[in-house]
Amino acid sequence: MEYAYVNARIRAMKSRLLDPSLLEQLINKPDIDSLITELEKTAYREELEKAGVLYSGINRIEVAIRKDLVKRFRSILTLIKGGDTEAFLAIILSRWDVQNIKTILRGKKIQENPSEILECMIPAGELDEAALTELVKQPDVKAVIDLLATWGMVYARPLILNFKEFTDTGDMLVLEYALDTFYYEDAISKVKTSESDDARVLKNILITEIDINNIKTVLRAIRDRIDPDEVKRYFVKGSPEFDANKLLTMMKTGTIEGALKYLEQTPYQFITKIPPEYIAAEKISAFEKELERYLVKKAISQFLGDPLSIAIPIAYIWAKYTEVTNIRVIARCKVTEVPEKDLREALISV
Amino acid sequence: MEQINPTRMELIKKNAQIKLAEQGRDLLREKMDALIQEFFNVMESVSQSRGELEKLSDIAQHALLIAQAIDDPVTLKSASFATRRGVTLDIKGKNVMGVPVPIIEKKRFVKSLLDRGYSILGVSSRIDEAAEKYEAELDLIITLAETETSLRRLGSEIQMTRRRVNALEQVLIPELKRQAKYIEITIDERDREDLYRLKKVKKIIERKKKGIKEV
Repeated sequence: MEYAYVNARIRAMKSRLLDPSLLEQLINKPDIDSLITELEKTAYREELEKAGVLYSGINRIEVAIRKDLVKRFRSILTLIKGGDTEAFLAIILSRWDVQNIKTILRGKKIQENPSEILECMIPAGELDEAALTELVKQPDVKAVIDLLATWGMVYARPLILNFKEFTDTGDMLVLEYALDTFYYEDAISKVKTSESDDARVLKNILITEIDINNIKTVLRAIRDRIDPDEVKRYFVKGSPEFDANKLLTMMKTGTIEGALKYLEQTPYQFITKIPPEYIAAEKISAFEKELERYLVKKAISQFLGDPLSIAIPIAYIWAKYTEVTNIRVIARCKVTEVPEKDLREALISV
Repeated sequence: MEQINPTRMELIKKNAQIKLAEQGRDLLREKMDALIQEFFNVMESVSQSRGELEKLSDIAQHALLIAQAIDDPVTLKSASFATRRGVTLDIKGKNVMGVPVPIIEKKRFVKSLLDRGYSILGVSSRIDEAAEKYEAELDLIITLAETETSLRRLGSEIQMTRRRVNALEQVLIPELKRQAKYIEITIDERDREDLYRLKKVKKIIERKKKGIKEV
């Protein structure tokens, strides 16, 4: 794997990311049209022009930034070919495959119009636009799973294993949960088998993600007063620090404050410092925001890691994702005339 | 004016009709008072719920905006596929002073995390919060549907009762009274005529008697 060339290309892509001063300019734009004009001066110009044919206003921006994200991620996939690196990169990007498959299954269950389902696709993973269109064309949930199995997609396995339970209960949660846990557990098992630095970097990020997901699950379940034993099955395995028993103990405290106490001696102790009014109001999105910020910060800080490793593509993927989210936040807030203070609060600042 | 027989029997009938109409008017007034009281009770709860709904709607819209901005509208739309299902409600009725008003079954639409149909791992708590706020709004809208329908029906019943009271008070009772008065006047007139005739006859008879004695 020629990291020198690939990472040089990715660093060049990184240089086209919007710098904080440009984001500041976007925040200060008075309306959506001036925001589009400003964005047209950036790397988003091409996608904005294409999207402008069919869409206008906020939809134009959202479609353009989504397509740009897909284009950048797919170009990274074409740069990295062969070996563990390709597999590791596929792990990161296949979260979009999981999201797309879940959307298709949800849509098929309620017999949604295929064009409506297709609109929700983000083909940034292994499944490209053609593959997703073919999946959307299938008549029902069973046919979608069969087609995934025919293509040899690993995600067909958890779906086939849980399909009977789904047909018995009619509950899509069964298939969705199977897919989500399979994604993380399969990813962890793949990086565990490798001794390389790349595997270590990716494992570190994945474990942080698993921890964050599990902490969020605990906090959300406490807020909704769900029986701890019922929530147990929704914990993702793979983290050495937060195993199922520790998470269950956190849940059994029955209060947000109680659960937060267990985070004091961990890398996630920063969320214990969340203002007490959010704790009292059990506003989980405030905790989620801090946890996501931590994850994004950690992933983007990989730019400072080994320049000849997977750290650079990982950092770029997260940096790009954050940028797209921030542009969307600014655009949405401009459309609805949200005060600047609230807009700044909603941004993912790293 | 319609043809009225100025007889004592007719007068008795008219007086009975006046009494009945006045009783009816009083009863309708009592009904109207009760309906107005009920109307104001319901109106108080409706205006309170309306204010609450507006507040809740603003909060829900803000939660939706944040979810759309951070999580992408396509993620939200995807989550909505998982949660989409029909809303079935059991509607019964009750009578308030003869006015049929609906009673909508109190069903909570605010769902728990595991009942929304999507995996909690793939959906953020921002989407959860937006869903929860809209579910709470739906709860309130259904409660409002019941009270607002009651309010509308009570309102139209009050209007109808008022029209009836007015018709009795302004048209029917005055007309009956006028007719009774007319009968009374006519009977009195006839009585006076009879009295005069009798006196005249008496005079003639007395004059005749006097003439016979003188002869």
